[in-house]
Amino acid sequence: MRIIASLVLAVCMVAAVLLLRGRYLEAHVLRADPGSIPSDAALMSFATGRGRPLFDAHCASCHGLAGRGDRAKGIPDLTDDDWLYGTGQVIDIERVIDYGIRSHHPKAWNLAIMPAFGRPRPSEADAKITALAPPQIRDLIEFIVHEQGRNADGAASARGASLYLGAGGCFDCHTTDLRGDAAIGAPNLIDKVTLYGDGSRQALFMSIANGRQGVCPAWFGQISPAGTRELALYVYSLSHPVGSKHDK
Amino acid sequence: MTSSLLEVGTWRDLTKVNSKRSFFLAVCGAVIGLLLAGYALFTARGTSTLMVPAEDVALVNQQPISRSDYLMQLQNLYNVELSHATGEQRQKVLNDMIREELFVQRGKELDVASTDPDVRNALVNAVELEIASDAITSQPTEAALRSYYQAHPERYASEGIMTVEDYVFPANAAAAVSLAIDALKIQAPTPDLIARFGGKSSGKVGDEEFYFAAKIHLGDRLFEAARSLPQGGVSAPTDMADGIHVLYMHKNVKPALLDFGAARDKVLSDYRNERIRHLTTGDEAFLRKRANILIADDLR
Repeated sequence: MRIIASLVLAVCMVAAVLLLRGRYLEAHVLRADPGSIPSDAALMSFATGRGRPLFDAHCASCHGLAGRGDRAKGIPDLTDDDWLYGTGQVIDIERVIDYGIRSHHPKAWNLAIMPAFGRPRPSEADAKITALAPPQIRDLIEFIVHEQGRNADGAASARGASLYLGAGGCFDCHTTDLRGDAAIGAPNLIDKVTLYGDGSRQALFMSIANGRQGVCPAWFGQISPAGTRELALYVYSLSHPVGSKHDK
Repeated sequence: MTSSLLEVGTWRDLTKVNSKRSFFLAVCGAVIGLLLAGYALFTARGTSTLMVPAEDVALVNQQPISRSDYLMQLQNLYNVELSHATGEQRQKVLNDMIREELFVQRGKELDVASTDPDVRNALVNAVELEIASDAITSQPTEAALRSYYQAHPERYASEGIMTVEDYVFPANAAAAVSLAIDALKIQAPTPDLIARFGGKSSGKVGDEEFYFAAKIHLGDRLFEAARSLPQGGVSAPTDMADGIHVLYMHKNVKPALLDFGAARDKVLSDYRNERIRHLTTGDEAFLRKRANILIADDLR
């Protein structure tokens, strides 16, 4: 009987120690500089282990269990090193998890949407943005394709360039060198990563004519602060596998 | 020996007193109690505590200042991470946030919402957000989105594209118009051909354009005649104030329903907005129902 009692007591003690250790590490994860946690293997392992189930529960329904996204639906691949919002630091990821993108949360990334230039009113938010005609959209596409280093119609590309930098107003978000602006989630138009579709002229036409407005929900208040940090570290680990060139 | 055997025998018999069982249960109870108390101590919310929770950087009158907000503020203000921030930078951000919290709390005490329109607007927005939080955070199923998409096909169609010519003939030249239509049915229009029948281009259209632009340029009546024309089609004569109009369609790409994948982000956005509207309306109705609202006689 004494043995049973001792066993039960030991199990309770171990459970208590594990619980306290978990709480200690959780507090450590929260108090540490988010950017420095990936270099602490033990802490990172603890955090990603707890972040994975959260990812499966909250993110996998869109981004997929492996986090590879879906270009047909414009859902970003979280395993590459291309970041639409921010620079891919843990704190940037945490902010997206907490407040989302166009989620209606006041702290969300809500600044810009891709106007639908093939509609009578391309942007609900900005009445000054005017629609483009189909040939103008095709000229813009030739310009983008040319800047990507692919074969393009020279005359159309030249017309597209002046539209890009002028009436189209594309430079305002995507910048004059077409490299985008991570501060507002405007994609780089000349890298190899495409968010929507396969990068074909038809896919580009769809994006310019019909606009884009991807959404990520805000999980603030739904996931605990520790959970958010752990989830952010897990997402970070997807694009920074241990031993990769990104692993710092 | 006999007493020990007796103890063992009564361990499972709850009707008899067993000192070892009592001791064991007391120990278990104490351990569980300690665990619960310890857990509650670390996680208590809404209770007064002297310890700042790990997720916060400060408590101001027990109101937490979130660590994540602090880090964001540090990044926004100095563009540095916590480990690279100087002590002075950290202190400045913390002091600013404490100051803000103190003033917010004082603002609540002073009830500034009753006088300041900006505060009132901010409160309305915040409450709307709170009401909508379910819709904002819940992820609709693909089936629900597809069903919404199928229920509103008109919202998820591409804009049609047409290249159409609009020719105008004198109002008293019905016979010539009839001959021009016959000619257009067998050959593509040229300025010479149209001029031969006394007509000319209206100059309103001619380039490839989206339906909505063609509608603006042609006007509702001519656009309705144009939209159903196939490629190479010629419209029936339409009497207008400036003469008889005939349309020739070079190219007509009709609006097509975008496939679900292409329209998904807009479907999701519309679905969510509709749920938010629904929740906000429902909550407003509830608030009105439970409120005691008295309206002046002259405005009833």
